[in-house]
Amino acid sequence: MKVVDVVCPFCGCLCDDLVVEVCDEKVVKVENGCTLASEKFLGDHRLQSPILREGFGWREIGYEEAISVAADILLAADLPLLYGWSGTHGEAQSVGVHLAEVLGGVIDNTSTVCHGPSILAIQEVGHPGCTLGQVKNRADVVVYWGANAIEAHPRHMSRYTTFTQGFFVKDAHLARTVIVVDTRRTETAEIADEFVQVEAGYDYEILSALRAIVRGREDVISGAVGGVAKTQLIRVAEICKRAKFGAIFFGLGLTMSAGKHKNIRNAIELVEELNRHTKWTISPMRGHWNVYGSNEVFTWISGYPFAVDFSRGIAFYNPGETTSVDILRRGECDACLVVGSDPGAHLPRACAAHLAKIPTIQLDPHVNATTHLATLQIPVAVSGIDAEGTAYRMDGVPIRVQKLVETKFPDDTEVLSAIYRRVREVKGQ
Amino acid sequence: MSGILVRNAFVIDPIKRISGEVMDIAIRDGWVVEDAGPDPVVIDASGCLTLPGGIDSHTHVCGTKVNFGRYMSPEDMRAGRTARRGVMHVTSGYSVPTTFGNSYRYSAMGYTTLLEGAMAPLEARHTHEEFTATPHQDMLANTLFDGNWSVMEAVRDRDIKRVAAIVAWTLSAVKGFAIKLTNPGGTEAWGWGQDVRGIHDQVPHFGVTPAEIISAMIEANEILRLPHSVHLHCNNLGVPGNYRTTLATIDLVPDLNPLRQSLYLTHAQFHAYGGSTWRDIDSRAEAICQAVNGKPIVMDMGQVMFGRTTTMTADGPMEWKLYMLHHNKWSNHDVELETGSGIIPVYYSRKSLVNCVMWAIGLELALLTNDPWQCLLSTDNPNGAPFVKYPEIIALLMSRRYREQEGTLLDPRTSHRTAIFSIDRELSWEEIAVMTRAGQAKALGITGLGKGHLGVGAAADLAIYPLDPDGIDPAVQVQEVIAGFSRTKYTIKRGRVVARDGEVIVEGANATIWSRSDVPSQYDMGQDPAFTEKFSQYYTVRMKNYPVQEAYLPRGVCIRTEAAL
Amino acid sequence: MRVTLVARPRAKPSLPVEAESIIPQNFLRGTDLTVYEGNKERRLEELFFITVEGPAVSPDQVEVVLMGATGRVKRVGEYMNAGRIVIEGDIGMHCGNFMSGGEIVIKSNADAWLGREMRGGRITCMGSTSHNCGAGYRGEKRGMRGGTIEIFGGAGDFAGEYLAGGEVRIHGSCGDMAGIEMRGGLLVIGGTVTRPCGNMTAGTAVVLGHVNRMLPTFQYQGVNDEVWDGKRLKMDVWEGDVANRGKGRLLVAVGK
Ligand code: SF4
Ligand SMILES: [Zn+2]
Repeated sequence: MKVVDVVCPFCGCLCDDLVVEVCDEKVVKVENGCTLASEKFLGDHRLQSPILREGFGWREIGYEEAISVAADILLAADLPLLYGWSGTHGEAQSVGVHLAEVLGGVIDNTSTVCHGPSILAIQEVGHPGCTLGQVKNRADVVVYWGANAIEAHPRHMSRYTTFTQGFFVKDAHLARTVIVVDTRRTETAEIADEFVQVEAGYDYEILSALRAIVRGREDVISGAVGGVAKTQLIRVAEICKRAKFGAIFFGLGLTMSAGKHKNIRNAIELVEELNRHTKWTISPMRGHWNVYGSNEVFTWISGYPFAVDFSRGIAFYNPGETTSVDILRRGECDACLVVGSDPGAHLPRACAAHLAKIPTIQLDPHVNATTHLATLQIPVAVSGIDAEGTAYRMDGVPIRVQKLVETKFPDDTEVLSAIYRRVREVKGQ
Repeated sequence: MSGILVRNAFVIDPIKRISGEVMDIAIRDGWVVEDAGPDPVVIDASGCLTLPGGIDSHTHVCGTKVNFGRYMSPEDMRAGRTARRGVMHVTSGYSVPTTFGNSYRYSAMGYTTLLEGAMAPLEARHTHEEFTATPHQDMLANTLFDGNWSVMEAVRDRDIKRVAAIVAWTLSAVKGFAIKLTNPGGTEAWGWGQDVRGIHDQVPHFGVTPAEIISAMIEANEILRLPHSVHLHCNNLGVPGNYRTTLATIDLVPDLNPLRQSLYLTHAQFHAYGGSTWRDIDSRAEAICQAVNGKPIVMDMGQVMFGRTTTMTADGPMEWKLYMLHHNKWSNHDVELETGSGIIPVYYSRKSLVNCVMWAIGLELALLTNDPWQCLLSTDNPNGAPFVKYPEIIALLMSRRYREQEGTLLDPRTSHRTAIFSIDRELSWEEIAVMTRAGQAKALGITGLGKGHLGVGAAADLAIYPLDPDGIDPAVQVQEVIAGFSRTKYTIKRGRVVARDGEVIVEGANATIWSRSDVPSQYDMGQDPAFTEKFSQYYTVRMKNYPVQEAYLPRGVCIRTEAAL
Repeated sequence: MRVTLVARPRAKPSLPVEAESIIPQNFLRGTDLTVYEGNKERRLEELFFITVEGPAVSPDQVEVVLMGATGRVKRVGEYMNAGRIVIEGDIGMHCGNFMSGGEIVIKSNADAWLGREMRGGRITCMGSTSHNCGAGYRGEKRGMRGGTIEIFGGAGDFAGEYLAGGEVRIHGSCGDMAGIEMRGGLLVIGGTVTRPCGNMTAGTAVVLGHVNRMLPTFQYQGVNDEVWDGKRLKMDVWEGDVANRGKGRLLVAVGK
């Protein structure tokens, strides 16, 4: 059976035009998706039942036991950390926040290692953004800054920017000027009309210089900034000012280089300055397919997009303090629940080491790096393949991911709800 | 569920023409009934003002831009925090509280129904998700059409039936309640960083004017027989001298519906400015009221109250202009083919003459509109002030003395720029009841669902306030009025006591009310080749993934109408 | 009155403790205070050996001395308005938040957000401090507004971020971006600093040591003779941040 207009639960592009062939409750073919999408839909080595660490080995247990073990671990903790969330749907994220609230724990999503700095910057100066269709239909100048779209978001350019035709941009390829800013000549840089090669760690200076130039103060700028000639900076500023509609997309190259959130803030303020001349927007290239959903869900329930600490009953937020990387590095939490993420693979080594020291529970369909650190793993259905729910695209557009095949696995929402119920029972609520 | 008998309540129910009668109200299975049945729970409401549950017909509480207001403002989140307590979840936020924060605080004030003022269709799913997390109020969503490309093209082609068909398809796809126009045409112009400056300005590229959009939508609205009228945020919001735009807009409005207004003008305060710059701004509330009196128009105040708040609107260009004045922080979010939005934090200061004039205009509008059914109480939450200020606004409307007291704290020039201190009128309890629930129910067209009144068959949404209208003089006892309206003794929603003395005591289960107008098959846009083609070419989501699935409305209430097409 | 709090050994020494109750004025009513250890509310005496010597009738007569392992104890001195707190060892984050009067002396190191949003009073840290010293809260437009913070060691990144008033003196070196978003007050750095004062709009920053990577958007105003700490110095004067229409002043000792 062919299913059309399927949503891809892999990256923040959340492409919703895939065609998926299902046979015997298995995905057998994926069309329209990029290779990352195919891997996600076709790769399938599921853990078959919950496993609990015993001595040096694992014991298979039933879901009921797994849920009660999980609840006991979390209840016994003085500071449980609930981490991950970008790889599951909104309904599960919502139960997660309520669970953290009841437990008096910290809940944090993978923003802590990707676009957390973007959020901090937005909290300082705001965010002039738009939906991706606005860029597709109007943008005549597109900037990728520290973002290698071709690798990390393979269809971003063909669906939303450079290569796609828009209402006001009929001949996309010719009508759009593409500027790429990066420390090295990436694949994306190869197709740029203007490539700005920045000395690593000098993004902030370059953004400051561009801001000054845009507001007519090129007189203070010296001959070169961060490895970029002043003449090129002036040229770039001119292209930007002459645009009818410009859009900056930035990635981890900007959020994770020296200065972090101040880089993003500077980029946002450049966009603000450009808006005094013409129309500009800026958007983070969010990686995980539903990391923005976790930001949204956390926010409407707790008030904060990530790093929310409920240990005092109220919600407290202070990235740098309540972010999981910092909590783990300082060894503060004494139990961890991982949902929709693989911290064993992507958190710094010191953090992973702490996870191995404390009881760590993982909800995940597959054996992964975190499995090796975990005490208990509960396999779940995969959102977008055998579970459905809400996801938020990198630009905030909410899309429902479908359930394509029947499954014996419960989904994250079901498992989390069971843990939540159990915790409330024990707490007498 | 056993029934409830509310005993000896001091009832004001303007729709049922009950103005201060001491009576019992029987409730069963969520409805007001003749007889509460055996062994009802008895609630003693003696000496308590008892009104139908409050209805806010224009507030921003759920959806993409509201949540962005939270997301970008940890400083506001920390300004209003409560811990998990009983059945109440953690809340954060002062001007843009979390969904549970909104729900609990509205419930404490006796509000049981809220209309979210602006939902972008493309992001409707988000609004509905937050609706389910705002559990103590029934929710409705104004759906934005101000910059809708297909609508503008149909308007340009003078094809009103097609306009109606597009609206019908969209409302039912996104489970919206009513048509909202926010700076019509202006939000599309903002796609290029521009704006329209008047109702006869051309929208770039589309060859239509705001006036044409507004007129066409008013007509289409009645073709679809929608419960509410077009809900309009006029062009030129917040611009000195904009009262002319507002008057010209009012002139466009025909009288098309015998049951209600033909146009709802929201946050009129922001549209009633004279002068030509911020330096010479003055009030034109009187001109607006004169134009509205007797016309098929209902407006809401959009009252400004002093202090810190967050402004948020689909009116992207306006937020940019406001940002250029405040320079604090600025967010903007344009939505492809549909609309825009912007958010900035503001501080309304008693030291600012402009802010004082704004404060005065809102009150003038309420006091100079003859018929309270035509000017409803709102702050355009949180734009003019967070809704928790409603009790203070009520007190200002009920007490001339309180207004004068406030006046002494303001820029003295306020009395030259506005007429507020020369108005004697003090609103009655009944007029307040009209302006906070009955008027809203009628204007929204939801009295048929049992909203806004307490007659037999009404939805059992009640607000029982610790206020004895026989015992206190609102013209003098200002603090009592404020305290009384801030916390009900009981808030009853759908026949359950949901809040007592300001504490929410049950987990909520609200409904989402939406409209669906059935059209003949040749007007079904889902089958229309030109419409579907446009969709697949220019939207970035597939048409199949656009409609909001039933899963997002666990308790949907659909108002179904037959379109006159 | 002198209140001595000696940290007891804890089963989980890495768990953070939130102890905003430790301010001089609270001890006028006794020591029956609570703090949070992780998500558990604890009586102060569960976490500290407490001794109280002498009387006091007002908070300025109270001195609180903290001893032992206090490096994870956060928010000590938050909202304090008078009296004195002496910390013999390290102290955790947010020490002296919103402080408006009195004095805090830290004999060793202080963790991040020392004196966040401080309004008045004095904090002295004999060791070094971490990031965001004298800074603001997320999303807030003003950091420290008054009072003095003096650090004898160094500081981490973003020292004096959003500084709006008062004085931050760091004798040692700072990390990246000290004085960023400054809008008032005085920031003095004795040692080296990297990329200072980005986006500053007002206020004065003085670097007696060396500046790494001066930002490109400061306008050179020439050399001035200045007196700092009783020493006459020649200083390069810069104005900025031009990227932000700023009119802040950045003074850098010549030849360092
Ligand atoms: S670009 Fe991203 S969302 Fe689109 S198909 Fe590839 S992995 Fe999936
Ligand atoms: Zn509004």
